[in-house]
Amino acid sequence: MTAENIGQNASLGMSGGSRVVPMQADPAASGRVDTWQEGEFTVVRGNARTAPGCHDNCGILMYIDKDGKLDHVEGDPEDPYNQGRLCLRCLTLPDVVYHEDRQLHPMKRDRADRGKDKWERITWEEAYEIIEREIRAVQEKYGSHAIQVFCGTGRDIVGYHPMLANILDTPNQGMGFLSGQGCYVPRMFCTTMKMGSLYTGDYSQNWIDRYDNPNWVRPDYVLVWGNNPVVANSDGTLGHWIVECMKRGTKLITIDPKLTWCAAHSEYWLQVRPGTDSALALALGHVIVKEDLYDHEFVECWTYGFDQYAENVEEWTPARVAGICDIDEDLIWAAACAIGNADGWALQWGVALDHTAEGFYSGASCYDLVALTGQFDKPGGMVCGMPAFGLPVTWIGSDTDWIPTKRDDHPHIHGDYPALKMIGMPSPDATLDALCGEYDYPVKACILQTNNCLSNMGAQPERIAEGLMNDDFNLVIDLWMTPTAMACADVFLPVTTFPERFGLTGHQPYRTGAINKAIERVGECRSDPQIVTELGRIFKGEDVFPWGEGDAWDEEGFYGYLLRNTGFTWDDLKARTWAYPEMKYYRYKTGEIRDDGQPGFNTPSGRYEFYSLILAQMGMRPLAFYEEPPESPVSRPDLAEEYPLVLTTGARQWGFFHSEGRQIPHLRAIHPEPEVTINPADAARYGISDGDWVRIENQYGSCVQKAKLDIRLKQGVVSADHGWWFPERGREDGFFGTFESNINNCVPMRPGSTGLGNSYKSVLCKIYKVER
Amino acid sequence: MKNAILVNYEYCTGCHTCEVACQKHLGLEPGKYGIKLTQIGPDQISERKWQYEFVPVPTDRCNLCAERAEAGKLPMCVQHCQAGCMELGPVAELAAKMGDGGKYALFA
Repeated sequence: MTAENIGQNASLGMSGGSRVVPMQADPAASGRVDTWQEGEFTVVRGNARTAPGCHDNCGILMYIDKDGKLDHVEGDPEDPYNQGRLCLRCLTLPDVVYHEDRQLHPMKRDRADRGKDKWERITWEEAYEIIEREIRAVQEKYGSHAIQVFCGTGRDIVGYHPMLANILDTPNQGMGFLSGQGCYVPRMFCTTMKMGSLYTGDYSQNWIDRYDNPNWVRPDYVLVWGNNPVVANSDGTLGHWIVECMKRGTKLITIDPKLTWCAAHSEYWLQVRPGTDSALALALGHVIVKEDLYDHEFVECWTYGFDQYAENVEEWTPARVAGICDIDEDLIWAAACAIGNADGWALQWGVALDHTAEGFYSGASCYDLVALTGQFDKPGGMVCGMPAFGLPVTWIGSDTDWIPTKRDDHPHIHGDYPALKMIGMPSPDATLDALCGEYDYPVKACILQTNNCLSNMGAQPERIAEGLMNDDFNLVIDLWMTPTAMACADVFLPVTTFPERFGLTGHQPYRTGAINKAIERVGECRSDPQIVTELGRIFKGEDVFPWGEGDAWDEEGFYGYLLRNTGFTWDDLKARTWAYPEMKYYRYKTGEIRDDGQPGFNTPSGRYEFYSLILAQMGMRPLAFYEEPPESPVSRPDLAEEYPLVLTTGARQWGFFHSEGRQIPHLRAIHPEPEVTINPADAARYGISDGDWVRIENQYGSCVQKAKLDIRLKQGVVSADHGWWFPERGREDGFFGTFESNINNCVPMRPGSTGLGNSYKSVLCKIYKVER
Repeated sequence: MKNAILVNYEYCTGCHTCEVACQKHLGLEPGKYGIKLTQIGPDQISERKWQYEFVPVPTDRCNLCAERAEAGKLPMCVQHCQAGCMELGPVAELAAKMGDGGKYALFA
């Protein structure tokens, strides 16, 4: 791989290859059925994916009553992924499927009535006619690149949106309005630059017999960094896999400003100041080099730039970094020695690393520790996460070559940011500027599919609303009438939940499987991929998308086509429900990682690059570094006089998936109000008692949340909920009141120097009590 | 012998799944419980040792999912426990598992 051919829509280390991958032995598969009768219920076995949103694919048994309704669900005890367990979100699935607020029909609204509850029910045919007319008008007037294709996270759409971008001939496809593409993309860009493949902690998830597999060993340590895995279940990792490892002897080291459950159960807890992670990683590297704890064989044979790395970490002494991170120096020594001496350790990194301005380099500095200690492809270390069976549509969709397109004829809206230029991703920050007339690029039509940016991830959401409400055309595709749909949609299309559809699992590389239809579609809903293919028929023709139309959509035929290079037919996969590819360790030694079959990694040097040749070539800093967040008590003492507290946002809550779950009674009851956590010592200083409503305010804006006093949080820091809207309120009542408690009012739409990263977890604020 | 539930609460993460699994099974509204989480801490025991733990406690509404047991299934809470830290079994058998240095609560 070279800088030149990373090119458009780079797959971020997720290249699938084309060879047919052998399956792992699965003795139970021959007798496995996907439907049976149990008393009065028909049981359908499937995978829980999506909607609603989730980063995982748990095995699920769906119990259907004699009227064809989903009565209840249980975890599938035979499924290796979740071993019979389902979390509270899936257990309330029937309440989502049959919720009275769910949107069941296509609707339109006059552009002049944006923001108003003036919807009119229409047919799918009319909806598609409007969409075609409006999109073609924008294409003709401004060019196809004036169309933006945005998805959210955790839905079965991420793999299909590259197809939609091809269909609409636009290069602009990504996560809409998440500043700096700051959710895993910075870390994935880092893995692409430094080694060309993605790696995850080895919690036995690649093995069908899991913890009993004789080749697997539990990690000595899991380094839980900026992540609350048992709540977040992020990026295809069920957090409780780590708890299973703990039962088998794994110890934890947790780096978090808050005493999470993992932190309380850790051998070492490093309660860092938000945004200082990179400094800590450099100091851990400093100790490992100085104490000669690094893996000499791996470093010498399989890495590039170690001398520069060693020189780079020289100045980041534990004494200095202890001051930066506001932790005890001896904890840095202890943590470094623990991972340096461990046989196997896994990096369980979280989105907190992305959510600082130089978030890309935070990830890079952590990743260097994995290389330094030789943990790649090692049992109980980090395992290579290529798409299972080379099926790239399961995660980052790159199966688009069969769709003729002119998307690459247009410049994408990279905002002049070097990383975004390189990987061909739009800049959400520049997109917002363009929508608001402050950046010279046409943004005239937005397709927001499972994307509730006004409530959830969009920084400065009122500005986003203003921009979206003034463009030419918006299409919103979702389960609910979300605040985003209420504000800006001209056409709304309703999507199915997963029991109403077939499909392929995704968002993790360990296996592939089938989403199995258990009930008829509710109302007129259609699945997210169906809507994409139907738009494909309209814009590219039936020859390119030959999978039927409307209710006659050949859903199973479409997924069968996507499986064409895997060795599976759709019927095979549906009957099996899941299939695991062959698992091996040390694949970099046998030439099974590089596309050319040579040993090593997918980098220009063929080695893990402490010093990234591509970054150097592109004019970016080739080595990890630490820089204070743009707003911190250290970088802006002047600002800290007025806003003395560090604000971190977006800690995950049980029962919610970002802005989802607020209308589900059993989930809402667990966390009924938006909360800001503050240490009691800080609260006393500002006259705040537990349960008080407080205003959180800084130079960007403000919102109100309920104060929760908790000694678990670091003093000088407040941690505020994200994703809040109030479905019980009126549609026109501030779009379900979504700006009222929206902590993103206090976050700038501003990436770091590369164009990746942002400030969701490191700005300054003050808080004060308000009457409510 | 009478069955009981053993909780190895060293590993209970407080995820509320047992509560909701039970509520959905018994048809309980929010606020009514067949099993309810209790919390210990957060308590700073010493400079670097904290106690922050949870113990789910069955209520008088719990019948150990008798009808599921007849069908050879685990109670809803035990099956779905995300941490896999709950176990159903005869009281004496479960009691014998205690005393290995772990943190257990036995509900009989």
